[in-house]
Amino acid sequence: MYLNQPIYNQVSFSSFLFENDYLALIPEIFLISAGIFLLVYGCIFSTSSTYNFPILSTNIGWFVILTFIYTILLIYNAEINNAILLYNTLVIDDFTQFIKICCLLASAVTILISLDYLKAKSLNAFESMILILLATVGMLFLISSADFISLYLTIELQSLAFYVLAALKRNSEFSTEAGIKYFLLGAFSSGLLLFGCSLIYGFTGTISFSECAKLFAGTAGLSESISTSTFSIPACQLGIIFLLTGFLFKIAAAPFHMWSPDVYEGAPTPVTTFFTVTPKLAFFAAFLRLFLEGFYDLIDTWQTVIIISSSISMILGAFAALTQNKIKRFLAFSSISHAGYLLVGFACASIEGVQSLLLYLIVYIVMNIAVFAIILSGTRHTKNHTLSQIKYITDLAYLAKTNPLIAITFTITMFSMAGIPPFAGFYSKAFLFFSALSSNLGLLAILGILTSVLTCFYYIRLIRIMYFSIPKTWCNSVRIPRGNAYILALSFYFLTFFIFYPAPLYLVVHKAALALCI
Amino acid sequence: MIEFLGIFIYFFIALALSLILLGVPYLVSIRRADPEKISAYECGFDPFDDARSQFDIQFYLVAILFIIFDLEVAFLFPWALTLSQNGFFGFWSMMLFLIILTIGFVYEWRKGALEWS
Repeated sequence: MYLNQPIYNQVSFSSFLFENDYLALIPEIFLISAGIFLLVYGCIFSTSSTYNFPILSTNIGWFVILTFIYTILLIYNAEINNAILLYNTLVIDDFTQFIKICCLLASAVTILISLDYLKAKSLNAFESMILILLATVGMLFLISSADFISLYLTIELQSLAFYVLAALKRNSEFSTEAGIKYFLLGAFSSGLLLFGCSLIYGFTGTISFSECAKLFAGTAGLSESISTSTFSIPACQLGIIFLLTGFLFKIAAAPFHMWSPDVYEGAPTPVTTFFTVTPKLAFFAAFLRLFLEGFYDLIDTWQTVIIISSSISMILGAFAALTQNKIKRFLAFSSISHAGYLLVGFACASIEGVQSLLLYLIVYIVMNIAVFAIILSGTRHTKNHTLSQIKYITDLAYLAKTNPLIAITFTITMFSMAGIPPFAGFYSKAFLFFSALSSNLGLLAILGILTSVLTCFYYIRLIRIMYFSIPKTWCNSVRIPRGNAYILALSFYFLTFFIFYPAPLYLVVHKAALALCI
Repeated sequence: MIEFLGIFIYFFIALALSLILLGVPYLVSIRRADPEKISAYECGFDPFDDARSQFDIQFYLVAILFIIFDLEVAFLFPWALTLSQNGFFGFWSMMLFLIILTIGFVYEWRKGALEWS
């Protein structure tokens, strides 16, 4: 009886402990249950002989888009917007809610623009849609993770889905090669990240970001050789270096970018789109929280690493993309240089820096989605009427004659990527450099401006090819699929008219940055 | 921890015993190898074709299934031992885990991963 009493208390305690936590997790719970439901639905109907083994990828793709939209609504209308959940494992605030909505939107748009491509290329695996959903679940949890265990587990959930997605096209050598490469390097980087986590746990005895912040508070001025009585700062700094290595691997920043051109080139184009746009959001969200909350007092250590990686990424992205002939490789190097610019915002470690980073991320996503919406629409050669993808940069030749509207959209997107004034890309880049200047990172800002002048060359080269070079084989662009057309139109309007009414985005981004930094 | 000492000693005794059993035939038997004796046994015939053949993917599938469900059991052990303390909350948490795994299993079943043709 004496023994039973506390156990009874514990039972009643634990059953009501998480009541409100589950209320706050409704979007994720909905997304997971919808994913499970769709998996069962897909596997039962696609193997059913009475329905003549239907191909369900488009069908389930639309369902997944619908699920994402419902999840966005659930997040947008959430009753609990600020909470720390499940024993300090997850956290939700304005920052996470904003990034989650962006992430879901990006995933939904990725699926929307790739549906017709999947059909044309007969990539008949409905599992790809479920995997995108599961990766998005992983990213949602990653965005709101508040300790090392949830950080690592969610990274693995999304990476595992990504490895399978990269090797989706089993009969293509490139795709399997991309899958293997991505798997090996991704697993290696996860290992480094995990080692960093265990070093920090081993030397501090805590896995929670906020506990780390309390522990490191006031240690900023201490010299590196001093070990306080309870924990050793140099060991924690080593752990931070490992964590940073893992992080830079995942966002494909130089010098840890080696996998990205091959994986982007080899993986099926819809998957490349997904790789380009969404994971950056999630990884930046999680690591901004970790570094700005947990390790803010050790800024000397990680700021240096991020500055170095940022400058290498910008330089490498600017020079390596010059010689690329294939469009997906070109975009991979372009995204490496964009990762460099994003890291400028990270290195600032200020509210303004985070704000400009988020703004840049959104503009980056819109620009990449626009480019991929065009690539995924494909071209049709005049001789044989098969849909083929725009593979080489020269395939764009004379797009201005065959489809002037698409050419203009592509041109605007390229101008925006290069950072030419009236377009959104310019404002996000300028804002980023202003915040760098106000954080005393003048050299980084100057380097960023110089490399962005260099990148202008290759972005404008694409435009030259579209308008002025005469191709060897003429290819007609096909009628753009409806979904791609809508997305293209929206992103075109966003990039062009952002200048006239930038206030809402600036405000939302500022609110998110405030939630993170204060 | 000390109870593992017995197992540790037992392991060495078993190793020694098996080595002895392996060694004794070498000492007492007569060995005279000839080509007929050392050739591969294929029901008395010479080998028909190349020993290398395409490997059946089913073996991999079964191995992966084993790993997954082996992990499931590893999670079930501590749950089974502490169920009296965890109560219904612990019970339903594990049920959720099992439901997710079962759905994975349903997927495999419908996809025909368990069918040996």
